Formats: sequence, structure tokens, C-alpha cells
Amino acid sequence: MGAMFKRLLTTPQGAIGTFILLLAALLVCVGPMLAPYDHEALSILSRYKPPGAEHWFGTDQMGRDILSRVMVGARSTILLSLLATGLAMVIGSVIGTASAYLGGRTDEAIMRTMDALMSIPSLLFALLIVSTLGKSGINAVLAITIAFIPSMVRIARSVALAARRQDYVNAAIARGESTLYIILREMLPNIVSPIIVEATIRVAFAIMLFATLSFLGLGAQPPDPEWGLMVAEARRYFFQAPWMMLIPGLAIAAVAIGFNLLGDGLRDALNPRSH
Amino acid sequence: MSTVLDIRDYSLDYLVPQGAHRVLDAISLSVSKGEVVGLVGESGSGKTTLSWSIMRYLASNAREVSGSISLNGDNLLTMPQRQVEALRGGRLGMIFQDPSASLNPTLTLGEQVIEVLTRHRGLSSKEAWQLGTDLLSDVDLKDPAAMMKRYPHEVSGGEKQRVLIATAFACRPDCLIFDEPTTALDVISSAQILGLFERLRAETGVASLYISHDLALVSQVADRVCVLNQGKLVEEAPARTIFAAPTDEYTRKLVAAVPDPTRRLLAEETLSHPQPLLQINDLSVYYGRPGFLQLLRGNKTPKTVAARDLQLSVAAGEIVGVVGESGSGKSSLAKALTGLIPFSGEIDYCGQRITSANQMDKDYRRRVQIIFQHPDASLNPRQRIGEILARPLRLYGLPKGESEAQAIARLLEDVRLPAEFAKRYPHELSGGQKQRVAIARAFAARPELVICDEITAALDVSVQATVIELLLELRRRHGTAYLFITHDLNLVRQIAHRLIVMYRGDLVETTDVATLANQGAQHAYTHALIDAVPKPAQAAG
Repeated sequence: MGAMFKRLLTTPQGAIGTFILLLAALLVCVGPMLAPYDHEALSILSRYKPPGAEHWFGTDQMGRDILSRVMVGARSTILLSLLATGLAMVIGSVIGTASAYLGGRTDEAIMRTMDALMSIPSLLFALLIVSTLGKSGINAVLAITIAFIPSMVRIARSVALAARRQDYVNAAIARGESTLYIILREMLPNIVSPIIVEATIRVAFAIMLFATLSFLGLGAQPPDPEWGLMVAEARRYFFQAPWMMLIPGLAIAAVAIGFNLLGDGLRDALNPRSH
Repeated sequence: MSTVLDIRDYSLDYLVPQGAHRVLDAISLSVSKGEVVGLVGESGSGKTTLSWSIMRYLASNAREVSGSISLNGDNLLTMPQRQVEALRGGRLGMIFQDPSASLNPTLTLGEQVIEVLTRHRGLSSKEAWQLGTDLLSDVDLKDPAAMMKRYPHEVSGGEKQRVLIATAFACRPDCLIFDEPTTALDVISSAQILGLFERLRAETGVASLYISHDLALVSQVADRVCVLNQGKLVEEAPARTIFAAPTDEYTRKLVAAVPDPTRRLLAEETLSHPQPLLQINDLSVYYGRPGFLQLLRGNKTPKTVAARDLQLSVAAGEIVGVVGESGSGKSSLAKALTGLIPFSGEIDYCGQRITSANQMDKDYRRRVQIIFQHPDASLNPRQRIGEILARPLRLYGLPKGESEAQAIARLLEDVRLPAEFAKRYPHELSGGQKQRVAIARAFAARPELVICDEITAALDVSVQATVIELLLELRRRHGTAYLFITHDLNLVRQIAHRLIVMYRGDLVETTDVATLANQGAQHAYTHALIDAVPKPAQAAG
């Protein structure tokens, strides 16, 4: 594990990604405490203030400090995206490994269902789910989870097919182990690294999808300081106060890039052939 | 005789995070025109590294410390890259272990042959094609014109190796390096390849360096044999004397480890009171299933047969050897017996009749254990040795009066491994140690029959000897029967009571090993197999 981190930090992508995400983690943990102002305090006198010494990132149409709102909003934006990806990763890898292990008709049935799910664009699919279940942050998480499961299943299955042919799986079958044991204890631990890499990159998509849902008014609800929602609310004032839209947009981009870089770095660090 | 390849005092280090690791240490070796020098060593001895050094293709972390390598007086170490490239495949050729890996699967054999000829002989592609066809017929390939148009997957491994040898000899090389050219082939085709090599060498007078782990084989093909141990050249002797009078300690160990069919390792020749354990009736294994379209049209295509109507019995405590080349169905037999592949026919185990894998209950699975060829693949890399050994104990129950930790320690001790190995991961162990763990796992179930599927094929000769000794020791103690599947006829003749010979899915001969030694083989194929096994040079001359 330690050697893996060392390798991760020696690659530029890995080092930059880790740095950005450490900052993001700091915001998630202690952001509300570090925020210079109350993120919900309205002020008639300081509306549309451009970035300056007093308000570093400026203020919005109600005079709320944007820096404070971005710092507080990091928690819901990043945590909910991580939750959605994590759920999709766990469910997807178990289904994918089971599909590869069972093979035959079961495999066929599972994979064709996943193909059907995959043929629907993920944003449309998420919209469909949220509009059926109702608008809320948790429903958005659920929507993203379901939209992400098929690709996770595919990746897990393709790696698990190689593991399926290994003799340790044959040895377990010959020993009379249960199907569940073989899937969870023999196969899954051997296929985690590519899945973790994929999940890391997927987090970036989840953040953007989540922001998109909030932007469309289907994720977080006002007055939450969720980043996507902030961009949506700022749209009307773009020509008056462009920073209102730019700052949360940049925050989304930075975290997404951070996860992408980390994913690239992890791919190199976890690949046994690269060292 | 003039010296063609001359290696003087050559040393090479690999840079690893812990510092420089000496791989080749002061190697001095020369090959004269028309001479074959054998280079023998176990895995990790540096023999492949040496061949790549001669070819001037080094790993990025390799550092040459001292010495020189010269070909006909030209120092290869100082030669510019461009000249080295012109040399490779032309004056200096190399034949690899796995012919399937060294041919490009997307090009026909002809295209790959003429590529070499146009590059190194300067021929036009038409002339090259003509010459290529002649060359293929020269290496005894049937219908060379058709062979030129085939893709690598359409021909057998032995034929691929012939094509590669033909190409290498076509460029009139000064020196050829053979890196285990017959290891990936079965016994009979490798004997044919060796015969071909012998003939071409006599015709062309090329200097060859023949690298192998098989001392008996090298002593047969080479004029001189060099023994390499951990990067050092420990002995150099004429092939005739290396078996009869090895001088070095390590060579003696190596010679002693080579299986000798006349030296039996079993205490008793036959079982005094054979108790039937396993009886197989008409067991067949088929592969492949009809395609969707064929099902719709209702025509039945013949399925691929892996094993056909096998009859076999194993008595308690008996060692039955199963011999055959790759594709003979011996592994299918092992997999059918452990319920890994579907089969038809009947298995009678101590009166319990089994006709499909679903009928194999926990008790059968406990009593019949399997050990696989590659310990790397059969031990889960993410589980500690302790966990791996604990699984059968949890499934089948602990022996009376022992805790799990005690049982694991005892199992490790039984296979002569220290108890603290339980905390290690498989990759921290050597190949032989891993195979011992796999043996310990099989014996954790207290089995009556252990199926050994080529368990020593991936191991070095000296490690193989200790693993075999361990198996026999465990049998003495527990009275276990073995179904010992192997391609190594010499080895199985040392340890088995009875022998079964398989050929393309059929069982062609069942014989007592003692009878085989006294009366010889009955079936023509068994004869061919016995003749194809390389014998140490002393016996030959």
C-alpha cells in the first residue's frame, strides 16, 4: 500500500490530483468552519460586489458571500457524488463478477439487461428517475447510481472473466465452495484495482451529472449552496455579475479534474506492468 | 577451428531499488565454427539474460560492468546500433522457446519468411518467395507451397518451430542462439526438431549456443556443456563426460536430480492387497456446443472430443501415472474427476456412483483433491498462506484435538515449510515453496486420492526432485493414492505402480511399470514416446 502511494506521487498526474483532492477534502471536513461569513446571511447593501479584498470571490444577488457558499457547498456536492459512485461501484462489481462466474444464460441475461440500460443516455435516465421519485438530493444520488451501474458491471465482468480462468477459482470449485464465497472472496479481491481506477474517474462524471441535475432544478433545492444550483441561479445575472457563475463552475471543474488526474495516476500506480 | 562467438570475462548487473544485483558474473565462453555449446541452468541462473546480451537487447535497468562479447572478432559491445540491427536475424540469429509467440498471428508464414530474406539477403520478393518455398521443403514440411500461404494458427507448434528454424538458417548465420527451442513442444515433435537441428548444423557448419534447463537433452545435442549457476559458470566439460563425471558440486546435484527410469523411488513394486478406490467406466469429455444457427437448422455437428470412453481404476494407496502429449485429454480427465467440466459416463467411488458433477457431494470432494500445474495460478494472490490453508479445514472440519492455527502449523511442517509462512502472501514465496503450499492445501482435507496435474512441469529439476520426494513421504504416512498426470515419462516410471498412456483422447495402453521395464511397450505410440525421450549422453556414446 505504501509503495503504491509512493508510485502514485511520483507521477505528475497523481501528485497534482492528490493535491487538488486534499484541498477538496479539507473543504468537505472543515469548510463551514473556515468560511469567513455566514453562507446564508443576506445583505442588501453588498449585492453584486465583484471579487475584492472584502469578498474574495464577490457576492451574489442577495449579498451572500460566494467564497463562503462555495466552501460550505463542497460538502454536499462532493460527498453526494462520492456516495453515488461508491454505491454504483459496489453493486456493479458484484453483479459483474457474478455474471462472469456464472456464465452461460445467466451471464447473457444480465449483460443484455445492462446493454438496454446503457442505451439510454445517463442524463436522460437520471432525469427520468428523479422526475418519477421526486426532487431531492438523495433521489439524485439514486439516479446517478443506477445510471452508472451498467458501465461498472461491464468493466467488472471483463476483468472477472480473466480471473475466472485462474486455477484458484477451479481449486475453490473442486473444494466445493459456495458460489457466494467464490465471487466475494476469491474473485472480487483480485479485480478491485481496475474497478477503483474506473470509479475514481467516474466520480468526476458524477460531480458534473449531479451539478447538471441541480442546475435543472432536480437535485439540490434552494437555498442550498450546492455548486450546480449556484451556477443555475447565477445564470440570470451573468452579464451583470459573471463571477457568480464562474466561481462555482470553476470549483466543479477543479474537483472533476482532480479526480480525473487521480484516476490516471492510480491506473499507472496499480498496473503491475508499469514498475 | 576458428572461434566465432567469444565472450570474455563478461559481467552484468541489474539495477534494482535495493542496489545493483549481479546477474552474470565473469562469464567466459567461446563457440567455434560448427560447434554446439550447451548452456544449462535453472530458472534465474542468467541464461536468458546472457542470450539477450549477445543479441544486444538489454533491459533498461541492465548495466554492463566488464568484459567483451565478440562475433568473428568484431566487438558487439561497442558496435553502433545500426550495425547491430543489420546483424540480428542475419549473421546472428535466435530461436525462441514459444514458436506461437514469436510469429505474428496476422501475417501468413510466407510473408514472415520473405521479410527476413528480402532484408538480409537482398532478394526481390518473387525470388524470396521461391527460396522460402525451397527452405520450407528443406526442413521436411509437407506441401511447402501451401504452407507459405497459411497463418500461424493453422499449423502445429512443431511446424511453426520448423518455419522459424528454416528462416534462421536461410540467412547463412555465423552464430545461432537456441533458447529452449523444444520446451513448449511435446516429446515427439521436439525429438523431430532435434533431428532436424542436427542435420542442418552438419550441412551449414553454424556455431550454435543451445540454452536449456534440461541437462539430459543438452548433453545429447551439444559438443560441450557449460553449467550456469546464479550468474557464474561453474563447470565446462565435454558433453560425454558431464553425466559420467561431474566435477562441480552444483552439477553433481543437477545430474542427481535428473529422473532416471531405472532408479525406482517406490519402496514396494506392487501393492500387496489392492482395495479398489476409484473405478471409471466409459468416461467421455466433449468440448464446444452447437451454434445458434446450427440449432435452428437442426443439424448436429460433431463436438470436439477431449477424452473418449476411458476405463480406469485406482486402488487405495496406488500411484497411477497418466502420460500423454498436450491435447491428449489427460487434463480433461483430471477436470472431469473433480467436477470442473461436464462429462458423460460413470465414476464409481467406493461404491458411490457418480454420473454428473452435481452428484459430487462434500464427502467426495474432500476425499478427492486436485493439485494444479501452476502454483502461481492456483493460490489466490490476495490471500495469505494461512487463509488458503484454513479454507479446507473450515469446509471439511478440523482434525480432532487441534485448533485451526495448530493444524495450519502442522500442515506447513508436513510439507517442510516454516510455520511463520502462514502470515505471508504467495508472491513472497518461490515456485517450489508455492507448490508445497498447494500440496499442503490438498492434504488439509485428509484425502484418499490426490490428482496431480503436471505439478512439477513448471519447476526446476532440483526442485522437482524434492517435491516428488515429499509426495512419496506423504503417501507413506497417509496411504494416499495418486493419479499422477505428466508428460515426463522418465519421472513417472520412477514413481508409479501402473501407467496409462493417452493419445488424442483415447487410452491406448495400460501397463504395470515393472512390466514395461521388462517386456517393453505394447502399443506403437508408447514405443514412440519412450524413444523420443532424450537420454543422457553417456548412454548414447
